[in-house]
Amino acid sequence: MPKKLDKFKKIKGIKEVQKYGLPLPETIFIFDFEKQEKELNNFLKDREHVAIRSDKENGLDFCPHNLRCPRNKAKKLIKDLISKGFAIILHEQNHIPLGKDQNKVSGNILILKKYMLIELMRGEPLILLNRDGKVDEHIKVDKNNLKEIKHFGKRIIKEETLNKILKMIKDIPSYKIVEFTIAPDWLFFWQIRDDKTAKKLEG
Amino acid sequence: MGKLKERIILKGIGASPGKVRGKVKIINFPEEIDEINKAGIIVTSFLTLDFLIIIKRNPWVSGIVTNKGGLTCHAAIVARELKIPYIAGTAVATKKLKENMMIIIDGEKGIAYA
Repeated sequence: MPKKLDKFKKIKGIKEVQKYGLPLPETIFIFDFEKQEKELNNFLKDREHVAIRSDKENGLDFCPHNLRCPRNKAKKLIKDLISKGFAIILHEQNHIPLGKDQNKVSGNILILKKYMLIELMRGEPLILLNRDGKVDEHIKVDKNNLKEIKHFGKRIIKEETLNKILKMIKDIPSYKIVEFTIAPDWLFFWQIRDDKTAKKLEG
Repeated sequence: MGKLKERIILKGIGASPGKVRGKVKIINFPEEIDEINKAGIIVTSFLTLDFLIIIKRNPWVSGIVTNKGGLTCHAAIVARELKIPYIAGTAVATKKLKENMMIIIDGEKGIAYA
């Protein structure tokens, strides 16, 4: 594992999910193909497909991915990307969003000192919210008692479901955004990222 | 109070705090932001990455109002970094606001006044 892990933004964000014990699809990181080949083989064994994402130090370049890569093509792609300076994020594929299922809710939770601000969209992937501004519901809750203070948009999540999610993340410090998707039979958190600019929303 | 309410023309999500007064510039394509050479409030459907790259290099963008978006979107984070007041998620900004209209936006409350 490289010492400068903080420079890999996506990997750092996933590590944060693991740090707080939140559910995440089975995931490994590959930095060195030769040294980690055995670990990679174990991960690929018995899987028809895997989801391959990549990350680069400082994350300024486009990072290639294949969210549904057949097992027999995975090693070649991973080796190729590592030789080009990328680190690999390898997920089990079953729960990785491909944008076909509207029976899910995806969202961001921004944690402030006194409040939590929740923005939700029907469906997935969450990139539609982050990059394209697809927000169906916006909720502001009091961090202490989880009571709703403000609401905007359509109701797409049940209050008790949201409260369960909020209780899971109550120990995460302020000025972080927690990304998640909930389906009828599973809940996964994708990453936790820093948002230093959120201090400006405290007023 | 009644008088103040009458002046409210649009409500959305306060995504980047600050108050600013300026003329509306309706934007359909990212390149149009490069043509802004006087302080103005840009009004558009949403700010994708192409828009954000140009906003970062044009100091004349003094405020932003969009139909879509919220305060956890990349656009909102960039607006806060650049200290540009921003109202997101208004749904109808591009219909209600007209080119060169003088407005005041409150990026904390998420309200635009005429």
